Amino acid sequence: MSQPSTTSTGKLRLTQVSRRIGAQLLLDQLSLEVEPGEILALLGPSGCGKSTTLRLIAGLDPLSGGAVWLGERNLTPLPPGERRVGMVFQSYALYPHLSVERNLSLGLELRGQNQASIQGELQRVLSLLELEGLRQRRPAELSGGQRQRVALARALLRQPDLFLLDEPMSNLDARLREDLRPELRQLLRSAGVPVIVVTHDQQEAMGLADRIAVLQEGRLQQLDTAEQLYSRPANRFVARFIGTPSINLFSRDGQEIGLRPEHLELARPDAPQAEGWRGLDGQISHQEWLGDRVVVHLTTPGGTTLRVLRPRPAPEGPWQVRWSSDAELHFDPRTGVRIH
Amino acid sequence: MGRTVLLLWSLGPMLWQLYSSLRPTQALTGVGSGWTLDHYRQLLSAEPPFGHYLVNTALVGSSSTLLTLALAIPCAYGLSRLGQRPARQISLVVAAAAAFPAVLLFLALLEVARDWQLANNLLALSLPYAGLCLPLAVLLLRAAFREIPLELEEAALIDGLNLWQRLRWVLLPLIAPALASTALLVFIFCWNEYPIALTWLSRQELLTLAPAIARIAGSSVYTIPYGAFAAATVLGGAPMILLLLLFQRQIISGLTQGAIKG
Repeated sequence: MSQPSTTSTGKLRLTQVSRRIGAQLLLDQLSLEVEPGEILALLGPSGCGKSTTLRLIAGLDPLSGGAVWLGERNLTPLPPGERRVGMVFQSYALYPHLSVERNLSLGLELRGQNQASIQGELQRVLSLLELEGLRQRRPAELSGGQRQRVALARALLRQPDLFLLDEPMSNLDARLREDLRPELRQLLRSAGVPVIVVTHDQQEAMGLADRIAVLQEGRLQQLDTAEQLYSRPANRFVARFIGTPSINLFSRDGQEIGLRPEHLELARPDAPQAEGWRGLDGQISHQEWLGDRVVVHLTTPGGTTLRVLRPRPAPEGPWQVRWSSDAELHFDPRTGVRIH
Repeated sequence: MGRTVLLLWSLGPMLWQLYSSLRPTQALTGVGSGWTLDHYRQLLSAEPPFGHYLVNTALVGSSSTLLTLALAIPCAYGLSRLGQRPARQISLVVAAAAAFPAVLLFLALLEVARDWQLANNLLALSLPYAGLCLPLAVLLLRAAFREIPLELEEAALIDGLNLWQRLRWVLLPLIAPALASTALLVFIFCWNEYPIALTWLSRQELLTLAPAIARIAGSSVYTIPYGAFAAATVLGGAPMILLLLLFQRQIISGLTQGAIKG
């Protein structure tokens, strides 16, 4: 991992941060730390509390409990304008009536920073994001990708101590998103401050972030690297949420077994079985092309449906699904926590 | 065909006034022919000249419009940022106020004018005018504020803008069309308002347009000065027509703002 270039501003620390509206608990005692230069993704389905967390850090919503620290500074009592955060909104939230240039500089101008230093900063950020040619354009005259860059530039211009991005790519088409991801990652890391990216897209989380926090129903489920989330999920929810096509889950001997579709193989029932391998007979119900690979859906006599990922479609006939017992994940059927 | 009828229907009275204002008095009441500018000359050379009333009215209209906007903007902004339920309840009250027949307030207003010595004061007339226009202005501006995505204001918040700066640099520029159309509606109301102006103003040199025209019409017991009356109507109506033509696009876009997303 490359080291951040600029001076560090201290790490972001959330201690038992909660958010409650009436009887509804949106976020339940979330604690986490993000180092300067590190990118953390908040990942989860909609309503899991990830956007809430971002808004609490930015100061847009009040905390119901806990505290937000940045280095030695307690951000909790500060209004958003004094937290020195750079935020990129999902809609980008560019001021539609102002030029690109004014969109960036408005905040600094109104704080009374002198024109010369604003112009210098403006020049630096605009060239960094290759926006010089667009200085005088209005947001309506920009493409989606350009708008995103302007939003990033606005956040960068303030030289924030902390970067917050809310679904920064969700308004771009899939192709552009993939092209921009490495660029964005590079840019964010070079800022040398803690970065939090909210996303519902696991690909984006894995592509951008160093570590990922998986949230569900306002609770942190697991905070780990992408690799660990995938191979050692803390519980059934994480196992199911991470990985496409999603994990196979079925019961055996009072335990819940999880098997990744890519760890399953198909063999003829009469083929010899290797040591330490298990098998289940199945009938192909249908096959689904993903482009480069095929998901084969099989039904076992017990009524379980299994998804097997293969490079090619499987021919008709009786099959046995086989896997190495090393690949098995075991979950407690009651709590969903992984036992093995 | 239908369009022609509609045009004649709505423009007819105006054209008739214009026609009458240019005809000699004899031609209007019976025999006689030809064209004349006498009625206009008579108005403009009267004491005070007719232009004086136009200035009075413009003064009252401007001050009332400014007062209305100054009060309606904070109201509307507050309402637009309030929670769903309280905002709807308050808006209902405001809508009821907007629908209230203003004529019923006359006697009360007259007492206010007497007790607080507000009679024969042009600027004081702004008080009842702004009061009457406020509900509608609040409703129009609230709809415009609600159109602005919350994220925009939050971005400004993160940029460190305080409430006044957010209004001045972000929100008000974005609702400019609604502001323009609201201002025009208030101004037109003041321009045309008759009963309150009639009761609050009595000194000739302070009259606004509507009571001034009425005085011309009732200046003689024996004849009705149709010509002068028509000329006064034309002179009084022209500035409004000009204003509307200039701003018609803003008015329409301002009035339909908030119509798509409720």
